[in-house]
Amino acid sequence: MTRIKRFTQAQRVFHLLLMLSFLTQATTGLARLYIETNWGRFLASLFGGYNKTLTIHWWVGLFMLALLGIHVLYVLIRIDWRRFPKSVYGPDSLLPRKEDLGQALQHVGWLLGIRQLPRFDRWGYWEKLDYLAVFWGICVLGGTGLILYNPVFSSRYMPGWVLNVLLWVHRIEAVLAIIHVSTIHFFIGHLRRHNFPMDLVMFEGSIDLEKVRHERPAWVERLEQNGNLHGTLAGSTSIALRVVYYVFGFSVIGCFIYLLINGLANITRLFG
Amino acid sequence: MEISSLGKIRLLKDHTCDVVFSCKQDQCHKDTDRLWCGIRLMIGLVWLALFLPDPGWSQTEATSKIIRYREREVSSHYYETYEVKPRPYPVFVRGGIPQREAITLSPIAEKVRRRKYLADSHWGLKFYERLTCIRCHPRQARNLHKRRAKITCRQCHGPEPIAGLKHYYSKMNPRRRHAFVCAKCHEGANRSFASYVNHEPNPAAMSTRQSFPLLFYVFWMMAAIAVGTFAAFLPHAFMWGLREFLPDTYMSGLKKHFVKRRKQDDQD
Repeated sequence: MTRIKRFTQAQRVFHLLLMLSFLTQATTGLARLYIETNWGRFLASLFGGYNKTLTIHWWVGLFMLALLGIHVLYVLIRIDWRRFPKSVYGPDSLLPRKEDLGQALQHVGWLLGIRQLPRFDRWGYWEKLDYLAVFWGICVLGGTGLILYNPVFSSRYMPGWVLNVLLWVHRIEAVLAIIHVSTIHFFIGHLRRHNFPMDLVMFEGSIDLEKVRHERPAWVERLEQNGNLHGTLAGSTSIALRVVYYVFGFSVIGCFIYLLINGLANITRLFG
Repeated sequence: MEISSLGKIRLLKDHTCDVVFSCKQDQCHKDTDRLWCGIRLMIGLVWLALFLPDPGWSQTEATSKIIRYREREVSSHYYETYEVKPRPYPVFVRGGIPQREAITLSPIAEKVRRRKYLADSHWGLKFYERLTCIRCHPRQARNLHKRRAKITCRQCHGPEPIAGLKHYYSKMNPRRRHAFVCAKCHEGANRSFASYVNHEPNPAAMSTRQSFPLLFYVFWMMAAIAVGTFAAFLPHAFMWGLREFLPDTYMSGLKKHFVKRRKQDDQD
């Protein structure tokens, strides 16, 4: 089976760290939000009680902000500055392009059965949205989280009632991120027919060439035309490692689904 | 008798004095001078009333209404030494309450509002000894301090008699709340910190638009972003999942069916 390289090792590590830190933040954050309920207290007990949950939430939040900073540095290093700005608007870039809007509309047309499936390149419009949404999410959650981290200090530079507002921004954005990842991201990434039961590309870093020809024909054609296809071929992963990836991936998905279901199930007790 | 370069005192027949200001043309009449003096005096008094601070304000900690949350304004904790006493007013009489807060209220709301100024805010309530705080203030019981830190009402509001929030000597008075209440747990709390709304209103409620407009609008803006995201992408994901189960032949057949029906409609 011929495979083609899609993600570098650094990108996979970034995704892994983001996944783990976000899962921790979601769990500790929901534990705090639902601390009045039995479920919330159970979640908090996993981390050693309410106060330790809060401490972990702070430190992992700082870690996520540091991760964002390192990722920005990584992106800046990876940019081909000799061909700038053309390089950041090329098909290998995750920045939105004019073609993405057309492809998104065509894709919706395909979903409705009235248009052909668009010929996607390396990144689809939904992947670009997912990637850029992380920047928005971490900036909003990290920014508000930093201000709420030490309210006494923060209130020297802003009125104290602003903290009420920022706490709601933090909550709503966090709930939005958790629900988005638990439903839309997992469904499109893993549960739809062509990826079911799990798309391991983010763990393995490579993907089956035939699958790419079907899903992203423009990318393969571009590589063939440029003569780069041979250079991007990659070896297959061992079965043992694939099993590990499956177990790990399903565990993370299971955790998020668990958080989502229990969060929705306990929502009445939260306001009761 | 000349008193300055500007004027001189003139002894009148009825043994009173009058000040006559000299003019360049030396043709000023006495009545006109008096009128101008009066006008100047009135302008000066109006200017003083408008622009000089109230004697009470000048002795509070905050020296600026705009920049009142700087580090230098952190509480000194020594209030009694320089605190200004309230203006004398009988606490049970409406006249002591600022008029803007005492008007356009329903009789019950006005009663409640007036209680904020009482030394014993629960004065006169029937069977008060047998009531709990939550019985009459159920919504106030739902706040982060109680839910997360298990802080009781009395830990902040103090023992009986519980003074109204706006009573001058109440420790919950916004003027000293940060020092007497907040700083017990939040070391270094300043006046700005104490403006955090502990008994937060429901951000989604329409009444919050009046009481806490920024919270209301930001809440609904964030809710709109969340709802908009899901409204766009949940159906998209669902349709995508469904579409991948339907073969292209079925979809193309569906397309042909629609095209055919449209043509028939056009012909009809």
